[in-house]
Amino acid sequence: MKRIKKLSLLILTGFLLFHTLPYETPGASETTAGSKPASSGAQTDETTGAPVTLRICNWEEYIDLGDWDEEDTIDLESGDIIGENSMIDDFESWYEETYGRKVNVEYSTFGTNEDLYNMLTLGDVYDLVCPSEYMFMKLMTENSLVPLSDAFFDETDDNNYYIKGVSPYIRNIFDNHTINNERWSRYAAGYMWGVTGIVYNPDVLTREEASTWNVLGNPKFKRQITIKDNVRDSYFAAVGALKSDLLTNPDFTSAPDYVQRLEEEMNDVTPETIARVQDYLQDIKDNLYSFETDSGKADMITGKVLANYQWSGDAVYTMDQADEDDYTLNFAVPKESTNIYFDGWVMLKDGINGSAAKQHAAEAFINFCSRPDNAIRNMYYIGYTSVISGGEDGRIMEYADWSYGADEDETAAADYPLGYFFSGDPDDEDYILTVPVSQLDRQLSAQYPSEEAISRSSIMICFDPEKNEAINQMWIHVRCYNIHDVPAWAWVLTGGAAAVLTGIWLHRRNRRRLYL
Amino acid sequence: MQIFKLSRKSLGIPYGIFLILFVVLPLLVLFYFAFTNGQGHFTLANLSDFFTDPNTLGTLFYSFAVALVTTALCLLLAYPAAYFLATSSLKQKEVLLLLFIMPMWINFSLRITALKEILTVIEGNLARYPFANAVVGMTYDFLPFMILPIYNTISRLDPSLIEAAKDLGANERHAFLKVTLPLSMPGVISGIAMVFLPAMTNYVVLDMLYNSTYIMGSLIGSYFSAYNWHGGSMIALILLAIIILFTILTGTDQDDRASGTGGALL
Repeated sequence: MKRIKKLSLLILTGFLLFHTLPYETPGASETTAGSKPASSGAQTDETTGAPVTLRICNWEEYIDLGDWDEEDTIDLESGDIIGENSMIDDFESWYEETYGRKVNVEYSTFGTNEDLYNMLTLGDVYDLVCPSEYMFMKLMTENSLVPLSDAFFDETDDNNYYIKGVSPYIRNIFDNHTINNERWSRYAAGYMWGVTGIVYNPDVLTREEASTWNVLGNPKFKRQITIKDNVRDSYFAAVGALKSDLLTNPDFTSAPDYVQRLEEEMNDVTPETIARVQDYLQDIKDNLYSFETDSGKADMITGKVLANYQWSGDAVYTMDQADEDDYTLNFAVPKESTNIYFDGWVMLKDGINGSAAKQHAAEAFINFCSRPDNAIRNMYYIGYTSVISGGEDGRIMEYADWSYGADEDETAAADYPLGYFFSGDPDDEDYILTVPVSQLDRQLSAQYPSEEAISRSSIMICFDPEKNEAINQMWIHVRCYNIHDVPAWAWVLTGGAAAVLTGIWLHRRNRRRLYL
Repeated sequence: MQIFKLSRKSLGIPYGIFLILFVVLPLLVLFYFAFTNGQGHFTLANLSDFFTDPNTLGTLFYSFAVALVTTALCLLLAYPAAYFLATSSLKQKEVLLLLFIMPMWINFSLRITALKEILTVIEGNLARYPFANAVVGMTYDFLPFMILPIYNTISRLDPSLIEAAKDLGANERHAFLKVTLPLSMPGVISGIAMVFLPAMTNYVVLDMLYNSTYIMGSLIGSYFSAYNWHGGSMIALILLAIIILFTILTGTDQDDRASGTGGALL
């Protein structure tokens, strides 16, 4: 008996040691995996032609899972598009047809960038993941990513849908943004993108009232607006509100280095700004309905709240759902600045582990999702906007027109130029949508923000760990109840209650001694 | 005989393994993180941080307040209900009891979702009474845990004790105060333990009912999502210490009670 005990204890101790190792030094797992010789796995994979397993981790509800109703068919002139099977199944069969090799996709999902990071730190292994830009920047600095291969950027390969179809605007951003002197585009291929803004009820709020971050603190809408329960989004909104005067000042907006200065202002994490943001958020906390994690969309549709801080893709979804109930909601991009975000595919060293076959399958998956019909399926299914503009393939633009274009008998139509996204030239006449005027405030303005809204967008960079900690602490302080706020009567009550309880307890103890 | 003995002991092994895997080992990991810093060196800073930061202390206070009011409300609602149930001569007693337990069979987040709509109808705008929402939500959630133990103790009381008290001249009120109430205290105490401690950490209720203030549960979570596993582990340990303290205080009381029923009667 004793021996069994000892044995099981030994096994379990071993298990503990084995499993806690990666916890102790989050950096260690990356370096060990990174320095592993790439040879063995790659060669066997390459020569045997055995099925490749591809472990993908993506946002929840962020890919077409198929099974559409007939009536959901997107009937473009160039042909119908419908999601019969899930994108993942379609990829598996496409890959085998195209490259003559079986691929087995293990698909899982994550809820937030931080969750994904914690999962990776705890030892979950994936080959291909899709975090937001600041998180893949963090992974880049930690040296945990595999660069995209040269073959991936070969525009002469017909199957390289990503590089042939990615929007020039997005491509430019991925090429020109760096961290530690490394371009994003070396490691990351875009998937979806968007801006942040305010979804609002136009019966109650005017467009002007909704088009500023200051709406969050507007006492007129006390306890009727929700924002995200998320430190980065809240921080951005607070900075926008605090610096509103500067950011909307014509001297500032017309300065030649406006874009760069805007990015600096919106990413201001000096201790003074952090302190001001904390005060601001604490002030507006009582003015808000709540910080929401995922109830915002539903509360907006059911009319519980009048306005809600949203990512543009969720805004499209919210407006679509409200439309089904004949309830009209609008979307506004704040005049100060909007946070432009990108979710991108990156390959992890730990997962790929030097296997060329795996890397090939991972890159093929990115390309498959970038094929215009697939990009359209994903957009239709999830509401977010693909980074793909299609290149020579006109279907993405056709889809935008199919979704938002004005009917011929539309009386109030407006031009909506999207050249900046589709061709890189804002004035390109080939890419002007004619849309009903109402769409300028609705789904279209969220799905494809106007050139004007984009001009005041700023990315939110990945802050260094020290600053990050300061911001996280700030956020915890905003959400906590400060002991100094405890009213005097509560202290008196607590003291009284404690005294009474101790009294009772002591009394009983003494009594017990007497009788036992 | 020898084999039988061995196998009887080994019946405990599956649970032992479960306990080690999911309780003991994670606890060790928790201890490790709580007393180290980012570099893996031993430190007590996480502990002192908790007790010097007005925000974490405030959260502790707020959690206590929510838990205390919830427990009091649960007790006020549960005791009369349990007393009525246990002492009534109703034939359908079992059915009634079932009605009280039935909500426990439905997932609590579904119940809270329903409650959210009910409260919205009553209050108009939920955001106006965040503290009350939290208390109502938790009471809604934990009430059966208070009713059951009280019901159990009261229904097991020997009716002859009450009869004896009445024979000796006690009226209804005195019989209740001097006999039933003291003898039902073990049930009340285990009910309090079942409600008070979970209420300190049940942050999902607050989230779902739009109370944006952290309680202990969400505070720990926020440390982990901010990658501060060390601070988060320490708060979890502190919470554990509070729970142990609470159990010791209520536990000793119960032991005495079990052996000293006679004393309680006097």
